[in-house]
Amino acid sequence: MKTIITIAFRNLLRHKRRTFLTGIVISFGLFIYIFMDSIMSGLDRGSMDNLINLSTSAVQIYTKEYDENKESYPLKYGLQDLDGIEKTLLTHDRVKSVTPRTKFLGELSNYEESMPVIGTVVDPDRDKTVFKLIEHLVGNYFSEKSERQIILGKDLAREMGVEPGGFITMYALTKYESRNADDFKVVGLFNTTDPALNKSGVFITFDAANSFLDLENTVTEMNVQLKRRINFDDLLDDMEEVLDLVKKDLPGLSAYSFKQLGAGILALVKGKKNWGAGMTLVFLLIAAVGIVNSVLMSVYERIREVGVLRAMGMGGKEITWMFMCEGIMIGFVGSLGGVILGVISVIILTTYGWPLDKIYGDMYIDTAGFPVWGTIYGEWNIPLIIGVFLFGILTALLASIPPARKAAKMEVTSALRFI
Amino acid sequence: MAVLELKDVKKVFKKGDQEVHALRGVTLTIEKGEFLSVVGPSGSGKTTLLNITGCLDTPTSGSVIYNGKELGRMKEKGLSDYRKDNIAFIFQSYNLIPVLTVKENVELPLVIEKKHSKQDMAERALEIIELVGLKGMENRLPREISGGQEQRVAIARALVKKPLVVLADEPTANLDSETAEEVIALMQKINQERQTTFVFSTHDPRMQKHAKREIVLRDGTVKSDERK
Repeated sequence: MKTIITIAFRNLLRHKRRTFLTGIVISFGLFIYIFMDSIMSGLDRGSMDNLINLSTSAVQIYTKEYDENKESYPLKYGLQDLDGIEKTLLTHDRVKSVTPRTKFLGELSNYEESMPVIGTVVDPDRDKTVFKLIEHLVGNYFSEKSERQIILGKDLAREMGVEPGGFITMYALTKYESRNADDFKVVGLFNTTDPALNKSGVFITFDAANSFLDLENTVTEMNVQLKRRINFDDLLDDMEEVLDLVKKDLPGLSAYSFKQLGAGILALVKGKKNWGAGMTLVFLLIAAVGIVNSVLMSVYERIREVGVLRAMGMGGKEITWMFMCEGIMIGFVGSLGGVILGVISVIILTTYGWPLDKIYGDMYIDTAGFPVWGTIYGEWNIPLIIGVFLFGILTALLASIPPARKAAKMEVTSALRFI
Repeated sequence: MAVLELKDVKKVFKKGDQEVHALRGVTLTIEKGEFLSVVGPSGSGKTTLLNITGCLDTPTSGSVIYNGKELGRMKEKGLSDYRKDNIAFIFQSYNLIPVLTVKENVELPLVIEKKHSKQDMAERALEIIELVGLKGMENRLPREISGGQEQRVAIARALVKKPLVVLADEPTANLDSETAEEVIALMQKINQERQTTFVFSTHDPRMQKHAKREIVLRDGTVKSDERK
């Protein structure tokens, strides 16, 4: 076997250029796949991170009654013992911060037209520790005297013809279900990557809501932010742990993680992963043709050599192995090259990212139905890299079988006569 | 003692609808230690005879008997095993494995035999390399030595497993006169010292001159069989 491997290896070295060209096709294919998987996963991650950071947070906690009626955003089912809930949540080492929010249904009016909105009552200081609304703000965030201040989506503001500094009237039902209306000063507009939020989202503070909605500091949901994980699956696992913690230590409450809240986008992302498999197959098919060609050329060049080896008594199986070894070696070197290039690209993507905003300006990329912008960071997918490496070698192995068998089946006398 | 017997060996090749009778009933007995040349014009059946003698091909009819064992009806696997243990070849264009060194080329038949230790293979290869006068060139590649030296390596490769018969197809055809004489002398020396049986096809009068027995083939039949 050692001699077979030696002959195969030295033959590859003898035809460096051919070996290099075939190997580079495999390397390029695998590199592109690893790179694209990382960037696409990064884009998906960006989408999901944005959704978590702007809308859902990692985990939401409500009362069971609120949970049963949450489509109507009832204000009467507030959480009790907020400090106790927060303390319990913070016992988990992956929990970074917690903030209260209360959602309500309302209507904005400029006296010419009105638009239904979903309002969110926030604690301005604490909200910043969980959500990143402030990063998408045009104008100002809430000031200390926030009693009549409102921040609304850019698209909504355009529809209503209002700009920062202007006033807008909002109608809503109070906690006690009486109708109320009040004028709010628009302090800022947000232009997030969530179109729904931009079109129908408004934010006011608890100070404002206490008088406007008779809220009495009622908090209908607690939002939990978790510490960042490089791999999103790890983050999902952390979310599940927090859910378990709530189930165990806060049994009277309902809790949902992004896994449930963002089930739609997660399903889209999972479905989209199939793009990669098809793309890899195309590249590996090209590489396989290259390997078949390379080994076939090697077979034709060495027909007499095959004849001599067969004349000496070398069996067909050993001849097959000799040429298959060449294929495997090309596959190994090509796959290794592809993985090295891929890993380098992922290191760069995960460390420095891909600054979409600097390259494309204001344009954003819509990946899973939830657009992203800013700098996109790559994602590590170690099982995929290992799988791609093995798949590259396997493809090379399979591609080398037909020409290798052709060599083995050659008649000795014909092979020896071959010029 | 007969090493090899051919009894009424016939070989017919089919080329399209036509049948080509390469051998038309050849009967031969080759004794151990013979230095035998097969001569004849192109198309006379020399190569076919050598192929059948070397178990590279099977006869259409007739018997090939090595040391009393009938091989004529063996399948490829059986023939391959028999070749591996008993028969060696020397080719006109040397046919060394270009990526293996002189020593590795010489060791190759032993590697294929799978019966020898690494040390045994190395010792036997070095011994035979010295015998063919290539000591000091063990680690060179075929492209780094001359044509004559390549043929010596081919002879060493043929002899390393101590075969029953060495079959040589025009072994001096690609060599200059001086080198051809050296190679012939070497084959004669091995034939005499080791009693190795040599059967070679040739057009080279220098080789014919040294053969102890000459078989002349014409149109697939033995025209003459002369011992010198």
